[in-house]
Amino acid sequence: MPKTILVVDDEPDVRDSVKIILEMNGYQVHTAIDGDDCLKKLKEIKPDLILLDIMMPGTPVDNIVKQIKDTKIAFMSVVRISDARKRGLCSQENIIDFFQKPFNVSDLIDRVALILNE
Amino acid sequence: MDADKLSLKNIIFSKLNRKLTLLFMVVGLIAPAFGIYYFYIISVSSLPSSIFDSQVELLRTVAIMIMLLIAVDAGIIGYLVSRSISKPIKELYYATKELEKGNYTVKTNITTNDEIAQLGHAFNITTAALSKLEAERKEIDSAKTEFLSITSHELRSPMTPMKAQLQMLQEGYFGKLNKKQLESLNVIIRNADRLDNIIVDFLEVSRIEAARLKFNFKQTDIAQTVKDIVKFMEGFAKEKNIKLELKLGKLPIIEADSDRVTQVLRNLIHNAIKFSKEDSKITISAELINNNILFCIRDYGCGLSHDNQIRVFEPFYQVEEHNRRKHGGTGLGLSICRGIVESQKGKIWVESKLGKGCKFYFTLPTQPIRDIKPIKILFSSKKTIERKIKDEFNTILGPLGELEFEELRAKNSLGKEDIFNYIDFLIKEFIIPQGSGENFKDKISEIYGEEKENINMKRNTDEEKLDEEMISRSCEPY
Repeated sequence: MPKTILVVDDEPDVRDSVKIILEMNGYQVHTAIDGDDCLKKLKEIKPDLILLDIMMPGTPVDNIVKQIKDTKIAFMSVVRISDARKRGLCSQENIIDFFQKPFNVSDLIDRVALILNE
Repeated sequence: MDADKLSLKNIIFSKLNRKLTLLFMVVGLIAPAFGIYYFYIISVSSLPSSIFDSQVELLRTVAIMIMLLIAVDAGIIGYLVSRSISKPIKELYYATKELEKGNYTVKTNITTNDEIAQLGHAFNITTAALSKLEAERKEIDSAKTEFLSITSHELRSPMTPMKAQLQMLQEGYFGKLNKKQLESLNVIIRNADRLDNIIVDFLEVSRIEAARLKFNFKQTDIAQTVKDIVKFMEGFAKEKNIKLELKLGKLPIIEADSDRVTQVLRNLIHNAIKFSKEDSKITISAELINNNILFCIRDYGCGLSHDNQIRVFEPFYQVEEHNRRKHGGTGLGLSICRGIVESQKGKIWVESKLGKGCKFYFTLPTQPIRDIKPIKILFSSKKTIERKIKDEFNTILGPLGELEFEELRAKNSLGKEDIFNYIDFLIKEFIIPQGSGENFKDKISEIYGEEKENINMKRNTDEEKLDEEMISRSCEPY
């Protein structure tokens, strides 16, 4: 049974790239176009990990994250992790990694594998 | 000086105390010594020899005791005097120490009625000014952070999928590449990395520098400047078969920075071409009105909604999301134009109707402004009343003199207070053609039935508040 990952990003190119990378490494990938869509998708599927962009239109990511309690979340962002921390975004326990964009493909794969093998 | 060196001993008996006390004591010892010695000589020589030597001895003893008593008294007086001087000085010293630590709210409370009290008062004024500056700096800092985060997002976003896909190709996600393909791909990856580094560098530079615009003023034939840039832009216009039409009034030769004028014109014409339909035309005009050269770039493209007319000068603002992909560009062009124009005390604004194209106007004063302040770029994306009114007035004052005030008021339901609060700001900050400032007031007093003098009065009371407001809403010098 392959592990499931939900990729949430408002930019279709990023979404598609990450989807292809993860799928070719044996994961089952779902995508969502923004935070609200992410919450909607979570009602249907139970992913093992959510890759979430922290700057998206619509409901602020802070509010989205608060509603996700029992799924591991890894952030993706062009802003630095220090800036994200300043915004109080990384305090929740189920937030376990931060991918700095633009990310390195093999690094992404390695870290996702590490997260999901725990 | 180190605060730790100020031991208890120093506080009770400072160097100044010691010196003054010692001085008083020495004076207290020497002065009576001379007096008594003089008295002694006179009395010894004038007294008859029948007086006993023992009495002379007694007189000498008493004299020495008096001398010592006076010296001690003088010492005590000296200590008290020096204390009254050194106490307020010490207070000032500690206040300065606090200031050094960054506590700008520190105040001294010196009640002596002398120059030191004046100094203390001046110190209080200085710290008050400093704490105000500090508050402003904090505001600017937070706005700067906002600016940088927007910049980094907008510039680095496209790098993410680009680099990801390139790496996927390189790592054979889509099949093994041959040698030539791999070589080509490596060139692309190398340059994508380079571009990413340039963006990062740019961010770093803007983070470090709060740069000011540099102007290089020289005698400039504005008409020639306009002709040159229009000729240059014709190349781009041809791609969409757009005709560039030039209408020049009689323009003087003025002292100006032609590169900056060109930069603004290039940006505006470039935008006009970008948003024009094929086979249309763009009109570029310039004329002299009341010590200002008024430029207008008119296109017949899609136009801007009322809301967008206000927001279009904000950094990174683009009219609609999908337009970014369609038209490219960072969304910084117009805010840079605004920065350049406003730093020369000019105005820039847009008039438009949806579907009927845009008229972008800007003015250039015939006298250059040499003392250039950092340019404030307004970041507020909220439709604050300030922004709204400011832009509304930009629009009414646009055709330089014509005031369609009543119509505007009806359209936007601006309150009386709002208008009053901003009139003087506008009169002060914006170039209003000679006399029309007064006309403006006439019009307002007519509409609101308010005495014209009352409008004047507003100026004094609200000036400072308005200034503060403007500063607090603005940020990052460009």
